[in-house]
Amino acid sequence: MATATDARPAAAPGGPRPNRNGISERGLARLFISPSITAMAIVALFPILYAVVLSFYEYVGLQQGGFTALGNYVDALTDGRFWDSVIATFVFTVFSVTFEFLIGMGFALIMHQAFVGRGVARATILIPWVIPTVIAAQMWRYMFEVTPGFINWALPFVPDDFNWLGSSGWAMFTIIFADVWKTAPFVALLLLAGLQTIPEEVYEAGRVDGASAWQRFTRITLPLLRPAILVAMLFRTTDALRIYDLPAVMTRGAFGTETLSVLVQDFVIATPNPGFASTLSVLTFILVLGVGVLLVSVLGKELVLGDEA
Amino acid sequence: MSTPPAPTSGAEREAADTRRSPEVAGGSGRAGAVERRTTGQRLGKTALLAIVFLWCLIPFLWMFATSLKTTDEALASPVPWQGPWGWSNYLSVFDQGFGYNLRNSLVVASMTTIICVGIGSLAAYAVARLELGKKALILTGILTVSLFPPVSLVPPLYEVWRAVGLLNTYPGMWIAYIAFTLPLSIFILTTFFNAIPKDLEEAARVDGATPFQTFYRVILPLAAPGVGSAAILVFSYAWNEYLLASTFAPRDLGAQTVPVAIAGFSGSVQFQEPVGTIMAACVVVTVPMVFFVLILQKRIVAGLTAGGVKG
Repeated sequence: MATATDARPAAAPGGPRPNRNGISERGLARLFISPSITAMAIVALFPILYAVVLSFYEYVGLQQGGFTALGNYVDALTDGRFWDSVIATFVFTVFSVTFEFLIGMGFALIMHQAFVGRGVARATILIPWVIPTVIAAQMWRYMFEVTPGFINWALPFVPDDFNWLGSSGWAMFTIIFADVWKTAPFVALLLLAGLQTIPEEVYEAGRVDGASAWQRFTRITLPLLRPAILVAMLFRTTDALRIYDLPAVMTRGAFGTETLSVLVQDFVIATPNPGFASTLSVLTFILVLGVGVLLVSVLGKELVLGDEA
Repeated sequence: MSTPPAPTSGAEREAADTRRSPEVAGGSGRAGAVERRTTGQRLGKTALLAIVFLWCLIPFLWMFATSLKTTDEALASPVPWQGPWGWSNYLSVFDQGFGYNLRNSLVVASMTTIICVGIGSLAAYAVARLELGKKALILTGILTVSLFPPVSLVPPLYEVWRAVGLLNTYPGMWIAYIAFTLPLSIFILTTFFNAIPKDLEEAARVDGATPFQTFYRVILPLAAPGVGSAAILVFSYAWNEYLLASTFAPRDLGAQTVPVAIAGFSGSVQFQEPVGTIMAACVVVTVPMVFFVLILQKRIVAGLTAGGVKG
């Protein structure tokens, strides 16, 4: 892409700006954009193609065996562990994104109302989001852990020896909970930015027409907030599908919390098998990027239509 | 991206935000709400706000209390305010080489930030202002890269890094981070460049500046807030990243970063859960970040909303 720089420097028929001072604007543009394109091609595009190649080979440990064509794919797709991690990833995504939006919306409305200390409030809600996820994971892991057992002690109806992280179902719950704790404030911030663009006059008009607070929320706030909600939803969903840090640290993928990222990483370090790991990574790539592209095209259309309306 | 009805840009939004600063917000814009507010409503709102604060901060109080507990009995007790207290966990953290981890994270995050924002601002300027063929294709490509699941690059990159000797090195991490943070920085910076009036460039051109001079003498200084916002977000990504760091530099203290160290702390005695040590390490990392956020929250929010609008 960047190598064609000199191919047609002055051949820009509709271009408003002519050649000037030695280097053409088009040439400069290509020069400016080429380092970024090169970096992304080397680290993002090349590896995924290389993964496709590796995925066709059989490995015994780190030793390359023979070409197996789609053998690895057959193994992966008939492996219950792969499908379990697909389910775990989607369960995590659906529940965490849903609760992040419900709680984030509540927080955004509260902060939109509060006049005092908005700067401090914003900083406070940014802290959970900005700290490393690994810290949040260790913190919540030990709060849920039987010893020291802070959560069991703080919740009145929970027995002291209740093992949150060691029972299927509840293990996923703790991970979703930690993620909602960390990310709901961030969603609130994105929604708050949207709320601040809604003019107060619209609400005044609503009040004059006798709309109740709930009606003002459902008929004014939600429709006008739609673009902000869709963008935040897109971000959160594509991000949640890649979840790695929380399950890796809190449960190491045990008790039904092995997400796709945890599964793939396991075949790189714990039980190394470059061929099978690449197969899983290609499948993950197709799945996650597929959902991402689907969301972008659907929501992108919504956003454009919303802007025109 | 040059033509669509660009929603409020990050820079404009930020301006709007300043206008609604606490002192002003109660004034003209919200006269209706102000009239009706009673003491009861005020108390109710404060209570609601308190819920938000507690939600965000209680875990940190627990973390801090736990980091100060010294004996096994104290660490095994669920009651947060039960001592004995002391700083020994903090000594143990640095005995295990946490100083090296902090240094490694600082170097990796700084390298990522400098290079990513450097080449990202060039690309963003080309996208926002210069005449560029196949602009839609390039933007779609960048957007697609931003949707890549990093884990799918881990097995192939691991093989390549192993072959060229980049495992357990700084470049092994920052080279990868640059590619993952470039899309976000390009989107943020494009928004900020778009918000700068075109007249300024025209004026520079009339005065005989080359396009490159226009970029680094006129546009870049004006976009400094946007560059700052992008830099903050890139830095915090690289500072927090765990998946690639734990795969490419899992143990070597010469390259192991903070998140990997925190995930892997061991107790001073075998089989002992190192709760206190881990929490002390978490506090060491969290306290500076709290100040960082308090000082920079405006820039962070501006960057997030700018990236959000374009993303």
